Amino acid sequence: MRAGRRWRTAIALALAAGLLTAPLRAEPPVETVGTPVPPECLAPGVEASSTVPLPFVAAALKSRNRIVVLAIGGSAIGGRPYGSRDYASVVEAFLERSFKGLDVQIVQRGVSGELGRDVAARIRLEVARSRPDVVFWQVGTADALAGVDPEELAATVRDTIRWLRDHEVDTVLIGLQYVRVLREDPQYQATREALAEVAKAEGVLRIRRYEVVETINRLQKPQEVPASDAELTAAGYNCMAEYLARAVGSGLFGRKESEPPPLPPKAPPPP
Amino acid sequence: MPRDANAVDFWRGFALIEIFVNHVPGNFYEQFTHKALSLSDSAELFVFLAGWSLKFVVGPPDAPAPAVRLVGRLVLRAYQLFSAHVVIVMLAVAMLAAAARLLDNPLILEWFNAAAVFYEPVETHIGLVLLTHQLGYFDILPLYVVLLLLSPLIALLDRFNQTVLLTVSFLIYIVSLITEATFTTWPTQGEWFFNPMCWQFDFVLGFLFARPTGAGGWARRNLGWVRIVAIPILAAAAWARWYGFELDPTLAPEPHLLFVDAKSFLSPIRVMQFLLLVAAFSAVYPTIARFVPPLVSVLSLLGRNSLLVFCLGSLLSLALQIGRFAVRGGIAFDTAAVAGGLLLLYAVAAGHEWLETSR
Repeated sequence: MRAGRRWRTAIALALAAGLLTAPLRAEPPVETVGTPVPPECLAPGVEASSTVPLPFVAAALKSRNRIVVLAIGGSAIGGRPYGSRDYASVVEAFLERSFKGLDVQIVQRGVSGELGRDVAARIRLEVARSRPDVVFWQVGTADALAGVDPEELAATVRDTIRWLRDHEVDTVLIGLQYVRVLREDPQYQATREALAEVAKAEGVLRIRRYEVVETINRLQKPQEVPASDAELTAAGYNCMAEYLARAVGSGLFGRKESEPPPLPPKAPPPP
Repeated sequence: MPRDANAVDFWRGFALIEIFVNHVPGNFYEQFTHKALSLSDSAELFVFLAGWSLKFVVGPPDAPAPAVRLVGRLVLRAYQLFSAHVVIVMLAVAMLAAAARLLDNPLILEWFNAAAVFYEPVETHIGLVLLTHQLGYFDILPLYVVLLLLSPLIALLDRFNQTVLLTVSFLIYIVSLITEATFTTWPTQGEWFFNPMCWQFDFVLGFLFARPTGAGGWARRNLGWVRIVAIPILAAAAWARWYGFELDPTLAPEPHLLFVDAKSFLSPIRVMQFLLLVAAFSAVYPTIARFVPPLVSVLSLLGRNSLLVFCLGSLLSLALQIGRFAVRGGIAFDTAAVAGGLLLLYAVAAGHEWLETSR
């Protein structure tokens, strides 16, 4: 009974998201950019990412039909469940499906536990080495856990974004993860807010992993046994990859792609 | 009886303390380690001294150790290091898992590149044993294992001809810098933090400078003017470091790694600065030994028991990182933790030596 209701809700959400993004699918050459995220990643009421054009990626796509992505910050393998692909591979496959003939090269330089200031120094070096068009930067978690001043981290991220822009490289920030026990943690929340402000002020794409998973968690609770934190972490990685792929796809055209799906219809009260 | 305090053990003890402090990123005392004023850091010193110590195994040029015995000792030492590495990695994984359970926080599992151990255990356990998967801050011993496995070849080449050894080592280093060849990680995609093809050069330089002939002989004969040249260059590098002045790596000519500051590839600018640092500070040891003998005694004790101290220090650093997060520690926590950690390292090293000598 519960499973049936869950499926009906998921299908309704998927249809709603599909309707929302349907006009995009009609436009060539994009084939899959407008496809809805998997039902388990739908977070009604939450905008999963800001909508920001990626001019340097678009230029690379236009001039050589090849884009180089530098994935840095956290370990690429993250908390994904056994047997699934890492987030960068998901993005690579998605973009190559979406843009015929596009070659996406992912340069993996993720090191878990590395503080933002150390990653910032490595980004400069890796830009010289790999000449990426865009940097996917998982940032904030290690700093928040290590107690780094959020303002100090924000300054580092701001400087790095500007440096990257000066070097014709787009930036995508991948925000902090959602963990229930850290909902009230001042340091963690201050870091999250500081990074959000930097992304907004600098006009860069930010994947709102925390907000998405928080919403998924909130919606799951009344229906089922609450997901464990480990399951939520895994969901965070999977959904982050799905949203990231679509955000980059739509960022290539600088158009609105990631509007939040509508809130689900109110579930009937339990019998 | 343990050997007397000496410069090599003293500086090794110094490097071990710095590694311990630096492996708790964000702690207050990190800014007081010499990397704040230097391009190179304690890692260069640690590997250089490891190469230097190889001379004690190889024996003096006029009475070299038998080749078979030499190779056997070095391979056995590599196995000991490998075993120690595997043990501390497993302990670290268990510490992270316990902390995640106690603090109800799965993010801790992802700290230190440990997520793959829990989420992709089949491949990752193979990777841990093959050293292709390394936890964050647990990446020096894998390099050291590779260097010790190479050390029989280094020792035998040295016997054949020191110039050939230096040339081969330099060529491997330069080719790695030009082609960006390195060891890759698996199952996570990435690179070794310490590229053995580059860091072997530091190890070989340590070995060759320790020898009385060849490069070592040249260095001893020319140490006076090298120190005079070193002072202004080191001062300029310290100034640049302090004020955050750094060359934009994209402006460096190709191949970039020959001209930029890249720790993983031990770029030439780091090697040169480090060798000048060694030249300058080798003059300091006799003064320290004369005026602060207790300091020399303590650091030499740590240096004599380097593997034990390094392993314990790595686990303590991890515990302190978790502790800093759990209590949101500030300067007071850092002070107590660093002081307590150093006391524990000293006590364990002293206890180990006491046990060894009383057998």
